[in-house]
Amino acid sequence: MAIKHTYLSLLILLFLSSTTIVDTPNEIKCITTQKTFEAGEFIELLFSTTQNTFPGLYCSHTYGSTIITPIFKNNVLYYEIPSNIGNKAGIIHWKLLESPLYGQFTITPKTNVTTLETYIGPPSIAAGGSDFSMMVVIPTDALDNPLKDGTQVNIKHQFLSSEENNEILTEHLISYKNIYSKKETGRILITSECLNEHSKEYDINVLAAIPTNFSISAKRHHVYADGNQVTTFVTSILKDEFDNVVNDGTFVDFFITNEVGNILKTNGSTIKGIATATMIHPDHKSRWTIKAFVNGMAESNVITLDYTQVITDFDVAVSKDNNMLIIGPLQSFMKQMIPDGLQVTLSIYKENIHIYTSTKGSRLGFAHFNLKDLALKKGNYNFNIKTAGLEKTLQFTKL
Amino acid sequence: MSGINKNILRSMLIGSYIVVIGFCIFGISAIYGYLNTGADRSSILHTELKKADQYLPKTTWAPLKNEGRSMDDQTLKMIENDYLDAWYVKLVAYRSNKKRGIEDYYTNKARQNIYNAIDLNLSEGTSMESTTLEHNPTLEFFSEDGQLVVLTDHNVIEYKRIYKGEALLLETSEVSTYKVILLLEDGFWRIRHMVKQDTQEQKKETGLPVFIESKNIKGINYYPQATPWDMFGVGFNIETIAKDFSIVKEAGLNNVRIFIPYDDFGKAKVKADKLEKLKQILDVAESQELMVMITLFDFYGDYSVLDWTLNHRHAETIVSTFKNHDAILAWDIKNEPNLDFKSRDQSIVTAWLEHMLTLVKSIDPNHPATIGWSNDESAIILKDKVDFASFHYYKKIDGLTATYKRLKTQIPNKPVILTEYGISSYNGFWNFFGNSENDQAQYHEKIQGIFSDNEIPYMSWTLYDFENVPKAVVGRLPWRRNIQQKFGFISTDGTKKVSFKYISK
Repeated sequence: MAIKHTYLSLLILLFLSSTTIVDTPNEIKCITTQKTFEAGEFIELLFSTTQNTFPGLYCSHTYGSTIITPIFKNNVLYYEIPSNIGNKAGIIHWKLLESPLYGQFTITPKTNVTTLETYIGPPSIAAGGSDFSMMVVIPTDALDNPLKDGTQVNIKHQFLSSEENNEILTEHLISYKNIYSKKETGRILITSECLNEHSKEYDINVLAAIPTNFSISAKRHHVYADGNQVTTFVTSILKDEFDNVVNDGTFVDFFITNEVGNILKTNGSTIKGIATATMIHPDHKSRWTIKAFVNGMAESNVITLDYTQVITDFDVAVSKDNNMLIIGPLQSFMKQMIPDGLQVTLSIYKENIHIYTSTKGSRLGFAHFNLKDLALKKGNYNFNIKTAGLEKTLQFTKL
Repeated sequence: MSGINKNILRSMLIGSYIVVIGFCIFGISAIYGYLNTGADRSSILHTELKKADQYLPKTTWAPLKNEGRSMDDQTLKMIENDYLDAWYVKLVAYRSNKKRGIEDYYTNKARQNIYNAIDLNLSEGTSMESTTLEHNPTLEFFSEDGQLVVLTDHNVIEYKRIYKGEALLLETSEVSTYKVILLLEDGFWRIRHMVKQDTQEQKKETGLPVFIESKNIKGINYYPQATPWDMFGVGFNIETIAKDFSIVKEAGLNNVRIFIPYDDFGKAKVKADKLEKLKQILDVAESQELMVMITLFDFYGDYSVLDWTLNHRHAETIVSTFKNHDAILAWDIKNEPNLDFKSRDQSIVTAWLEHMLTLVKSIDPNHPATIGWSNDESAIILKDKVDFASFHYYKKIDGLTATYKRLKTQIPNKPVILTEYGISSYNGFWNFFGNSENDQAQYHEKIQGIFSDNEIPYMSWTLYDFENVPKAVVGRLPWRRNIQQKFGFISTDGTKKVSFKYISK
């Protein structure tokens, strides 16, 4: 008898235990049917349960994951989704621990705009219609969620007399518009609007495009190669191909080639399209060929300038005490003393071997070399003097 | 008496004086040292950022068809680096619930979202160990001024372990898609917006099982005699290996099991010279008509979730390099991983193995993969994922038949291969009651009988007795090392031991 009872009770136990195993998955059920919530809304997932366990709810959102502990009331488990998860748009994936239940719901961004996050670049573009700047607008709601794709954004811009409005639908969270320059320089003003929220004013500067070729001219006080006056080179007004004056500060290089092929260089920056540069006159007869460049962009015509020799001859003398070599008078085109600073070079040779060179600027029409300081040894010397493209030689004997 | 006392007093005074002076000098030098330290000025320029390999998930860009400005390779690489770094600092932050590094890779507003998530998890006592294994970004948009990009990162595989305190609450693998807006700020591409578009549980499919002709497998575990456990080091000599392989071949065996040390091979960035050595070994095996079972991740024992991407790059390089080599018999993911169950937590080791199996099989769907469990009890773990089960047997020989039969019923559809067995012939000072060479021979004779009666494919341990067994293998203890030295069929002087007769049937 005892065996029979034991057997029966075992059988019942077995039956019961098997039924509980089968029933387990059905005991907890998700009773929240809403699948879409708006960001910032109070979100709570409800599960009906007959068990006395309170499993956590795993919740994975855009920025991370967490486990939510429930509140248990009248056989219902309440899982309140924390606000930091509920505030961010995206898919939320949940899984009830200790059960096979899982699911998802979507948090959509709010439907009104708080911020028009705007990015514009580059801030300045070239005139002519091929260069452009891009405006990117990300309409975001009060909780910093980009609005859903397909939201209409109006990007408006004004330039001179034209005003344009472009209706753009957001895609991949953003909307963007390329804003092209026109032929004129100036400033484009831009603004955007989305769902009656208006952005502030933005601007893009339209600068002149690259300059076209130009011409140059020269101004000088006289044609003499006096090594003293300056010649000024001036460009025509530099313009781009659309007749816009190039930006102030456009750098112009002037290359001056003289008759022996040496190159002198001077430069200037444009103001109102005109660049000027100066160069001191040569001190001897010379022919200059001048051409200007805006590096890599434009070049000028070639002009030629001739400079006339001013000093035709000069005297060389040694002072009575043999201590001073005196060169001059050095006279300019009207027989006036040449202005101070004309270069005079003295080279001394002894038996055709070069032993000394010195250069001095003229003063009051003369150049003086102190021979005493040289402490020359006794013997014969050749003095060679060069100035203003002329050359003279003097025999000198040191006693 | 008083004289001695005086002397003691004196020496104490002098001693204390020296100690005080010593402290003073130490204090002054510490202050001086502190005042002389400081950031190197060049660090202002971000010029010395050395990039260590910490996190290398597989990243595959979709062909570039983006709107806006056209993208160049260098900028794309920069974006990829910073984007993955953003993931990395986030994963690290969630593991420790600390905010370090977040501000470098998230803009002012975006980082608030992560701080909120960290604060929430801190207050709940939750933390998360996680990694991402795969990213498939598509560049959607690149702004004209080069300061803003939008990308969609498709099917990001995320593996997460959620803890409450110390307790593991959940282990999950998800596949998610994100839309991300990044801005170029201070030379960093920083995440400005991120929106999860889709997420699914990862279906862990390892593909169809690869058939392995297991009946004829007669093999041996191989290390060269002079360089055991250091096969690819400076002592590498392909002629020695070729000679050994011909011994193996002539003994009637048809495959060898070899081991790839993880660190020695260069971890995530596998060294080319090591690959070349492995290629030479495979070529030699092929010329001897031997098949090779390659055991990956030898001497690796970390398994920490953030290390996974590095492990994956390691396996990816080796498997993809040799998947078409004719000498490959199979991939053994890891030797005896169950020995790490205690120290590293069984669930994390198993998850590591499962993901590694998935990866290896996705790269090489034509060769079977297995795990070299150290005992028969573990051999059923992941039995549905491996192509054949393998286990090691160093227990009493009498139990083998029953053990094998039990395994065959537990794993009915797949071959079960004994990939290590053997007995040491050491009976010296540290083990007087050990086995003699004759005992070893008897063992092998008997076990060969069991193999042929039960059709058990086998790989013995090992060809040679070794003179030097590294500490890392069995530790320092002489009674372990000495036993490990004597498992071979050929003794240290090169003569074949009695057991050699029974190396194969």
